[in-house]
Amino acid sequence: MDLPGYYEYYCGVKIIAGHDALERIPVILQDLHACRPMIVTDKGVAGAGLVDIVLGAVKDQLTIGAVADDVPPDSDLRVVNRLAALYREQDCDALIAVGGGSVMDTAKGINIVVSEGADDLMKFSGAGALKRPLKPLVAVPTTAGTGSEVTLVAVVKDHERHLKMAFVSYFLLPDVSILDSRMTLSLPAAITAATGMDALTHAIEAYYGLSKNPLSDATALAAIRLISRNLVEVTRNPSDREARLAMANAAALAGMAFSNSMVGMVHTLGHATGSVCGVPHGVCMAILLPYGLEYNRHKREAIMGELLFPMGGSDVFAGTHKEQRTDRVIAYVRQMNQDLHDASGGRHARFFKEVLDREGKPAVPRGRLPDIARTALGDGSIFYNPEDLDYDDFLMVLEAAWEGVALDSGRIRK
Amino acid sequence: MFQPQSAYAFYSPTKVLSGNKALENLPVELDGMNAVKPLILTTPVLSARGMEKIVASAFGDSNLTIGVFSGVPPQPDLRLIRELYGLYRDNGYDAIIALGGGPVLDTAKALNIAVSGRPEDLESLASGNPLTKKLRPLAAIMNLDLSGCEMTRYASLGPLSLTSPALIPDLMIIDSRTVPEEEQKTMAATALMSMTQAVEACLHPARNPLTDAYAYGATRFIMENITNVMRNPSDRKGRLALANAAFFAQTSFDNLAPGMVYELGMAMSRSCQTNPGLIMGMLLPHFLLLEMRKETTDRKDLYLFIGGPEAFAGTMAEASSRKAVDRIVEILLELQSIVADFPRSIRDLGIKKEDLEKIVAQGSAAGVRGEHDPQDIRNIMEKAWETRF
Amino acid sequence: MNHYKEMQPGSKPIKRAYVALMLWFVGRAIEAAARVDGVVKAEFDGLSPGFTFSLGVMPQGPTMIVGKDDQGLVRYRGWDPEGQKIDLKMKIKNLEGAILMFTFQESTALATARNRLIVDGEVPAACAIVRVLDIVEVYLLPKLIAKLAVKRYPDWFFGEKIRNRIRIYAGAVFGL
Ligand SMILES: [Fe+2]
Repeated sequence: MDLPGYYEYYCGVKIIAGHDALERIPVILQDLHACRPMIVTDKGVAGAGLVDIVLGAVKDQLTIGAVADDVPPDSDLRVVNRLAALYREQDCDALIAVGGGSVMDTAKGINIVVSEGADDLMKFSGAGALKRPLKPLVAVPTTAGTGSEVTLVAVVKDHERHLKMAFVSYFLLPDVSILDSRMTLSLPAAITAATGMDALTHAIEAYYGLSKNPLSDATALAAIRLISRNLVEVTRNPSDREARLAMANAAALAGMAFSNSMVGMVHTLGHATGSVCGVPHGVCMAILLPYGLEYNRHKREAIMGELLFPMGGSDVFAGTHKEQRTDRVIAYVRQMNQDLHDASGGRHARFFKEVLDREGKPAVPRGRLPDIARTALGDGSIFYNPEDLDYDDFLMVLEAAWEGVALDSGRIRK
Repeated sequence: MFQPQSAYAFYSPTKVLSGNKALENLPVELDGMNAVKPLILTTPVLSARGMEKIVASAFGDSNLTIGVFSGVPPQPDLRLIRELYGLYRDNGYDAIIALGGGPVLDTAKALNIAVSGRPEDLESLASGNPLTKKLRPLAAIMNLDLSGCEMTRYASLGPLSLTSPALIPDLMIIDSRTVPEEEQKTMAATALMSMTQAVEACLHPARNPLTDAYAYGATRFIMENITNVMRNPSDRKGRLALANAAFFAQTSFDNLAPGMVYELGMAMSRSCQTNPGLIMGMLLPHFLLLEMRKETTDRKDLYLFIGGPEAFAGTMAEASSRKAVDRIVEILLELQSIVADFPRSIRDLGIKKEDLEKIVAQGSAAGVRGEHDPQDIRNIMEKAWETRF
Repeated sequence: MNHYKEMQPGSKPIKRAYVALMLWFVGRAIEAAARVDGVVKAEFDGLSPGFTFSLGVMPQGPTMIVGKDDQGLVRYRGWDPEGQKIDLKMKIKNLEGAILMFTFQESTALATARNRLIVDGEVPAACAIVRVLDIVEVYLLPKLIAKLAVKRYPDWFFGEKIRNRIRIYAGAVFGL
């Protein structure tokens, strides 16, 4: 295990995991000196009955101050302000966020407003603006992927002024994250597959990235091991509780790894594809992950080879010669996409030309690739990627990922 | 490795800064916690070795005022905490920096309870009432002369045992300038303490993916560095790796109940005034041999932690546990050949045969919480007393 | 009480002076590079009118400020942030971190990976400025050192680029 010349690591979120972890919410809030939480969620989560499960788990032991179930799929400043007002009106003293990335972002935004008594959230954007702990925040993730239950970033969009505000602070970390298998049991196969590949990407990019460190390595390895053993299985068999809990664990572990080691070009291109073509994040990750490995390979060969152990297990690892391990790792990721494609009845996309929008039309027309490459130039995740990429490099990767062919190693400038 | 445990809780609130110029980040980190005037606590010995000056110079150009108290004794007591309480309050300090191991952290944790509330909170916590206030910022600067509880929820102050997750330091700095060469035996004892904590964490029935991850980091670093550092104490990177391992091991230990070797080591150390890390090192192989005979399925991967993926994958499953014990024994033998008057059994540490029975009684009554058969304990201790590696 | 003292840790004037000199040099080199190098110019053209950024050391400098003027020309704007509207602040967390960077023991990429800098401002602008700093480093440093400073040493560095290097040096040192 390698010790870098310098590293930092932090994840102060208490993790509570189990098939009935939700039942511990009342005690958790008591420890945090809170007794009247507001639940923040979205219509989809509430509609799937997940809020009822949370309410059932805490019934009689806790007064819920308010349930706000109208967080939009894209976090929004107006919603943050409206829900902060509701929090105050109802005299709440803690937040329980039940949902995915947007719900977590919104809850973090509300927490800034109600804790700092802010009228303009903008004042608290950027690094170092928050100086003291906020109100207790309990995160209950309902997808196993984003890792936002353990990350310190919140993104809130101001749709009126066309601004995207990023908040970065240790104080934005949830106090407690609850990983309960019941929260992901009803997740459809295609979403299970895509969000699971997002988690795998977090772990793999963290493991070969420039900020890797012993703790991000150990959490990443654990996450990769769990995902390799459970993701295809749970996509085939969605009601497997053990596999669901394993994936919830994996997503949180991968979240710890990447929030300390950061992510690289797979996310750079994924964010850009998402913003230009509106493709869901996990779908982009699944498609682009093999290319992150191929493109950076000449700088990280030995490190990438180590991933074969958690992916393939002892026998495969011992039986593969050192020089062939990275090849096997890349083949393994591609095979995983194929298996997920089959397990989801063809809904899990393997390359960009296969991705369809709501109307069933191609979501990533080939002609948009230059726009995506240009947008990628403005994404900060590229700093942590081992090798540099300029516009031409981005475009080369996008074209290969569109077609679904391996990168031509001769065209990678070294 | 990394089995998903169906139900668990895990908590590690410490931010780690490890490596080149880590100390110089103290001002910015304190600022992030809204603190501007830290009080550094250390011992006369560390101060005489120039450690306090190094930390003070890290505040150069920061415009901050700092205080230094360099009189922490080996056995801090309540009277000291009351004096420091007055000093902290009267001079307007708002954070503590603990520079050193064991007693320094005990003092720092106790002082932090007092200054974040009232000195009476110490007795109140010791008698089982939870803390109600968030504590002030506490940073710890780690070295390789450790008690094993620095980065945990535990502290002791004379007769008072203090336990609360709030005691865990907010920040930990590992910087080669403040991880100086210690005597070989001291560094070996610290590493063996970490090794015991990590190995017992990966054998613990309540292990979870996170305690596994920390125990994995700890065992890998110890196995890769322990003999190198003993042979060549000027190996700075090796010393940093061992200090990192100590933190990882303590964190996995802190999230599980203490194991049998740890408890026995502490009990014997108390009754015989001997270094607990060395005792645990002597007990560990005997404990593992006994465990192996019990054939529990989830212990098959110990060799992954001890030997690493390459060695583990290249070993037949049936032979793997045995290999793990062999590797640990090999390390102990190497230490004997490198470290002057390194013990070969607990007898060499001055433990008398007639003390064993007393410790068995003590161990099974108080320490080991009745989870282990007293017969097992007796077995291990007799083996560790009689057998010389 | 025995064993107790309060102190004001001193300052490090020589290290400060060195970093201040390097910042001054880099600031003027960026101004010159924006004149002679098409890629640097294009990066600045892509930023908003009047865009200004600072690179400095916490808690209180030294700092250098570079910004676009009314004509869109890139100018070194001195060391004093007072009274300037700064869109992007890049702050090195402490003087020792700045020494690591400006003695080329840590590249920009490594310093970022090691969390030595705090970036305050729009991310796309920060990306553009880091690319500019990389190019300027390639101009200013001998190849052996620059190869360590940037992830990928450019293959365009010959001919006209060598002449640019002289012009950038002249600009940085003499303000030509
Ligand atoms: Fe992601």
